[in-house]
Amino acid sequence: MSDPFGAEAELINIESHFYQGQYQEVIDFDTTSFSADNALPARVLQLRARIALGQAEDVLAEVAGEKKPELEAVGALAQLKAGDAESAVETIEQLAATDAGEIGIVQVVGGTVLAAAGKADEALALLQRHQGNLEAVALIVHIYLAQNRTELAVKEVASARRLAQDSLLFNLAESWVGLRLGGDKYQQAFYVFEELAQAPATSSVRSLVSQAVAEIHLGRTEEAQAALDQALKKEPGFADAIANQLVWSVITGQDSAEYKAALEQADPNHPFLTDLAEKSDLFDKAATKYKAKVSA
Amino acid sequence: MQASSGMLTKFESKSSRAKGIAFHPKRPWILVSLHSSTIQLWDYRMGTLIDRFEEHDGPVRGVDFHKTQPLFVSGGDDYKIKVWSLQTRRCLFTLNGHLDYIRTVFFHHELPWIVSASDDQTIRIWNWQNRSLLCTMTGHNHYVMCAQFHPKEDLIVSASLDQTVRVWDISGLRKKHSAPTSMSFEDQVARANANQTDMFGNTDAVVKFVLEGHDRGVNWVAFHPTMPLIVSAGDDRLIKLWRMSETKAWEVDTCRGHFQNASGCLFHPHQDLILSAGEDKTIRVWDLNKRTVVNTFKRENDRIWVIAAHPEINLFAAGHDNGVMVFKLERERPASAVYQNNIFYITKEKHVKMYDFQKNVESPTLLSLKKLGSPWVPPRTLSYNPAERSILVTSPADGGSYELITLPRDGSGAIEPTESKRGQGNSAVFVARNRFAVLNTATQTVDIKDLTNNTTRSFKPPVGTTDIYFGGTGNLLIITPTAVHLYDIQQRKSTAELAVTGVKYVVWSNDGLYAALLSKHNVTIVTKTLEQVSTLHETIRLKSAAWDDAGVLLYSTLNHVKYTLLNGDNGIVCTLDQTVYLTRVKGRNVYCLDRAAKPKILQIDPTEYRFKLALVKRNYEEMLHIIQNSSLVGQSIIAYLQKKGYPEIALQFVQDPTTRFELAIECGNLEVAVEMAKQLDKPKLWTRLSQEALAHGNHQIVEMCYQKLKHFDKLSFLYLTTGDHDKLSRMAKIAEHRGDFTSRFQNALYLGEVQDRIQMFKEIDLYPLAYMTAKSHGLEDECQEILEATGLTEDQLSMPTLGEPLTPPKPVVPTYKANWPTKAASQSFFEKALLGEVEGLSLEDQPSAAPNGLGLEEGGADEPATKKAGALAEGDEDEDAAGWDMGDDIVPEVEEGFVNVESADAGGAASSEADLWSRNSPLAVDHVAGGSFESAMQLLNRQVGAVNFAPLKPRFLEVYQASKTYLPAAASLDPLVNYVRRNPEETDPRKVLPIIPRDLEYLASNDLQRGYDAMRANKLEDGVKIFKGILHSVLVNAVGSDGEVAEAKKLIASACEYSVAMSIELARRQLGSPDQVNSDPSLQKRSLELSAYFTIPKIEVPHRQLALLNAMNLAVRSKNYSSALSFANRILANGGATKITESAKRTKAQCERNPHDAVEIEFDQFAEFEICAASFTPIYSGTPYEECAFDGAKYHTKYKGTVCTVCEVCEVGKHGSGLKLFA
Repeated sequence: MSDPFGAEAELINIESHFYQGQYQEVIDFDTTSFSADNALPARVLQLRARIALGQAEDVLAEVAGEKKPELEAVGALAQLKAGDAESAVETIEQLAATDAGEIGIVQVVGGTVLAAAGKADEALALLQRHQGNLEAVALIVHIYLAQNRTELAVKEVASARRLAQDSLLFNLAESWVGLRLGGDKYQQAFYVFEELAQAPATSSVRSLVSQAVAEIHLGRTEEAQAALDQALKKEPGFADAIANQLVWSVITGQDSAEYKAALEQADPNHPFLTDLAEKSDLFDKAATKYKAKVSA
Repeated sequence: MQASSGMLTKFESKSSRAKGIAFHPKRPWILVSLHSSTIQLWDYRMGTLIDRFEEHDGPVRGVDFHKTQPLFVSGGDDYKIKVWSLQTRRCLFTLNGHLDYIRTVFFHHELPWIVSASDDQTIRIWNWQNRSLLCTMTGHNHYVMCAQFHPKEDLIVSASLDQTVRVWDISGLRKKHSAPTSMSFEDQVARANANQTDMFGNTDAVVKFVLEGHDRGVNWVAFHPTMPLIVSAGDDRLIKLWRMSETKAWEVDTCRGHFQNASGCLFHPHQDLILSAGEDKTIRVWDLNKRTVVNTFKRENDRIWVIAAHPEINLFAAGHDNGVMVFKLERERPASAVYQNNIFYITKEKHVKMYDFQKNVESPTLLSLKKLGSPWVPPRTLSYNPAERSILVTSPADGGSYELITLPRDGSGAIEPTESKRGQGNSAVFVARNRFAVLNTATQTVDIKDLTNNTTRSFKPPVGTTDIYFGGTGNLLIITPTAVHLYDIQQRKSTAELAVTGVKYVVWSNDGLYAALLSKHNVTIVTKTLEQVSTLHETIRLKSAAWDDAGVLLYSTLNHVKYTLLNGDNGIVCTLDQTVYLTRVKGRNVYCLDRAAKPKILQIDPTEYRFKLALVKRNYEEMLHIIQNSSLVGQSIIAYLQKKGYPEIALQFVQDPTTRFELAIECGNLEVAVEMAKQLDKPKLWTRLSQEALAHGNHQIVEMCYQKLKHFDKLSFLYLTTGDHDKLSRMAKIAEHRGDFTSRFQNALYLGEVQDRIQMFKEIDLYPLAYMTAKSHGLEDECQEILEATGLTEDQLSMPTLGEPLTPPKPVVPTYKANWPTKAASQSFFEKALLGEVEGLSLEDQPSAAPNGLGLEEGGADEPATKKAGALAEGDEDEDAAGWDMGDDIVPEVEEGFVNVESADAGGAASSEADLWSRNSPLAVDHVAGGSFESAMQLLNRQVGAVNFAPLKPRFLEVYQASKTYLPAAASLDPLVNYVRRNPEETDPRKVLPIIPRDLEYLASNDLQRGYDAMRANKLEDGVKIFKGILHSVLVNAVGSDGEVAEAKKLIASACEYSVAMSIELARRQLGSPDQVNSDPSLQKRSLELSAYFTIPKIEVPHRQLALLNAMNLAVRSKNYSSALSFANRILANGGATKITESAKRTKAQCERNPHDAVEIEFDQFAEFEICAASFTPIYSGTPYEECAFDGAKYHTKYKGTVCTVCEVCEVGKHGSGLKLFA
């Protein structure tokens, strides 16, 4: 059993909440008794959780004028989410150029900003400066997967295995990769997500959706529906849940119009919608190339 | 007084010293004879003293049950042998003869004999049927401590304080007493004489062997049940094993260990073990073959005097200074684990086997665990990990150990595991796919280990933890003697706690939402968050439990299978003749393991609990189904329903009128109550009914009751209150008729009939009252008459002051005409369903025929549904399969191989799996799923000449939308996109393929059926849309085999025919209203033609019949009798629904009188032709035509180059390589 008074132990629960997507629990976490060393990481986690819950403006106001690089980075993330990607990227680029770029939190938050702003390679460059930071590894894996560089993600996970096998983050990152690889890995990823999603202490809408996604990939549509129901019950407006519900309904041959409307309401910029609109245009364009010899 | 650890004590009694014990061979009974002269009869299962027998004087040392008869025998220090009846619980008789204490008494297994051993140095054989002494065996020269019959042969073995064991041959005795009865006189004399000499000559029973070896007196001796072996226990503290042959007997070996006098010994009935007990307070178990100690159980204070084995089951008993204990040597519960449709279990031979519930087959041995634990200790638990296909087995041997073993893929005999990981621990369970938890009770720690057996974390469980169980993902259920904790492994803390004592087993429901906690006598059902749902108590020991898929818990006790619902309602499912461990419940089958670790299936009747479950869930359809399909009756279910407040449902079960009446009253179903009351016609019931009806305000029933009861006064009042004056006056008449003046007065009062009252008073000579009545109503003439009649004058009367005359109430509303508006009868859904009022709740599996718009009832409506499978399966053999397999397709760059991602290290995004799909597949649909619409269109254009893609857009987008999921991964970043595969087990990037929504099977079982429904229901616009939708869906689709390609072609052809057929009929209807059409000869001609063409496409016969009927009727109406006749003939040739054929027959008869057409149409019933899908005109056989390369619709050549009207996608006459659906 690890030392309950050690510096790590203090953060472990709040970190777990964050990684499990239990953002509200992170915000509600009582950090008053934390040691001075841990106060800042805990605060950063809480601020990031608020950003993830869509309170970017509030966070931006709160960290305005803060001089600590960690908080500046968080400020940039808030800026990005508030819609000002340009200055966010600028802030991070400046931070990365200095010694602040060696700070784990700056790397992770900065990496997130850069990746979200579409500067994946810059993000990777920043993140790869990490020293045994699992969160940075997870982020790197995410970025590789988003770029479809699965082999690299696999490598990243393999090297992180030595770092921490029993860590939650590691398991998650491994599962993300697993869902891309498929085969037996689907089932293994499912186990991880299900384990998180179905334990009351660790369950979150994100892990429920992840579980459902794994089940969709496994072809277990009925079970997937159950997980999606749980997710949507927990947070009816969670865009990813709606998007996957939509996919589910299409796969099972059911009417998806209702979910499409819901998704449009929840997140009009969801990748599903933008992608679909793009493809719809593509179809119309491509279809014009053909026509019958004789019009009826 | 606690037995030493490891002993599985099942029963203990406290009494004075127990000297003799006997197990009943069948019932859970044990006889105990005590030093205090009492014999006790215990039920060791229930732990109750059944009876006491106290006729002996002084200690009773020997007892025995008869194997088959309800008898037992006892022998005591009063020199008496007593034979008792178990039925009357009385001593039947006493056998006297011994001259000193009797040590043991035993029945013979088949002859009516008893053998007794006594301190008078003799062994005697008695016949308990004629109550005589048969034989006295002398030879021992000290007390004989024990004498037993051989279980099969004519032998007796005896042990004596003279330090010898003797084996006696009693075959002479048997010959004499079972010889044929027909004996000559000489024989009889000889025998009589022989008998006498036998008393001392001992030719009936002769000593065969004298076994010397013990250095002190021998206390006990026993034969082996099957082998020629003898075991003896003596005061020299030794247990000796002897062997004998026909001619000699010798000492085999000695078991040393007892450090005080050994008082008893026996062979294990089934295993190669010896059990012995002694005054050193121990029970020792020895290996028969190695003569080494296997186990020792020690009692604190009690010297053990006697030990006995149950003849059948794994139970033993030992009598000691303070009573008796019944115990087992080993657990008989086979270690097992259920995963989905399989159970993994460990047999008595320590083989791991698997049993498939669905296939009902037992696997060969997967693995042998011979080396696990010690040889005589069976494994305790088994935990299965499906992800790794490994098992975790625990054994209580050596202070508890576990072993993690990977199962081989297939059973290849009893092989030892090649690789296993082991460690110390009392319980071990998998908690995740790659983690298991190990509890060590001695150190009170729980270790979480990974699959390489390394501890990843470790924590202290709550104090006193005895066991751990899986507690849902990431959780453990930790069992302490007084509570159960739900322990979160991640957080390392107990998240919930429930005070339940003595939990031994945990059984999770199939959906993982509930768990049953089993303790010795209690079942507690909890949710997955450890909230108690219900609890119940059983007096008999609980053994096991398993969940039904519907959430009913079935559990087994020693002798019953019972069920409990979540709400705690429970009952018995069936009785058991032997203990079993339930493992799974599926429908009517309960799968279980018996004590020999053999899978068994019990057939049960789940009706009762299903019904109760349905009731609790208010699933009325299900209840209805059960009621109608099973013989669920009986008082218990009625009482249950009544108790639960469902009298109206109980009503459905009851036939007995009295009960029905009671139930009907209870649920306010007056109709039934009236019916029953009429049937029974008892005043008491009418009274009850009248009260109930009155409470309901149903005065018509009240009236009937009062009439039945002849309650005239009440009736009158009822009529008054309902304002029914007619009936009231009838009541008055009746009263008059009956001569009941009070009643008559009453009615007159109600009616305001003054005259009648006066008249009545006069009749009964109450003139003063008559006068007063008349006076008060101002009827002066009457007054005068009365005065005259009585001879009085007005002056003579002293009158009180008169008030207002009585005015009877006047009805404001004629209530009597109808009942008061009563509350709508509480007719439950259930009753309605029973009465068939609820729509859609049809009991037949097939929905009733849809209303038919074509103006007829179509009996054959259900046929196509049943035929659809066949229709698709009957593939046309002559289909040209080669046409489907052209090399012309664009499959770009397959050979180039898969992009090497390593090389993309430099940066930049790589191609996604979606891109791979279009590379991996020549099917258009895979290109669509990959988002490569251009190449998909190109493919379709080449394959089937697709040119107009707009109608395919929904299908394109549908396929595309189904291809990707969105995984929320890192915080604040877009979700990760993953690609859904239709071959999820495939990992080779060159072979992965996308999932296709609405595949062929889906289309055939959904869309096609909807299309048929539309046809039946005459919703042709919808039908055309559906069939075109099918065509589009098949066009952009993939199948799994060549066989399915043929099916797909069939589906396309069928959809095309329907589409054309429906379009023809729609075109006919668009010609105008019937009047318009009939008034215009050209329209009429066209209408008749189209109706005739409607009958041409090859649609399902029942549907064709509809088309034919339609055409026939139209033809008749237009006096085209010849055409009508041909249609009628075709209908009759098709046969089928009688309604249609009848109509056809009539028409045929009508038309045959005048087989001429009034309107000439272009329809040659004898020519072979097809219909042009664009112009709806015939294409006669032999004339040139064009067709659609995809759906095969036929067109006149002039339509070449246009878009096919059926699929609306392809160009007519453009021949491609053929649609490719399977790579």
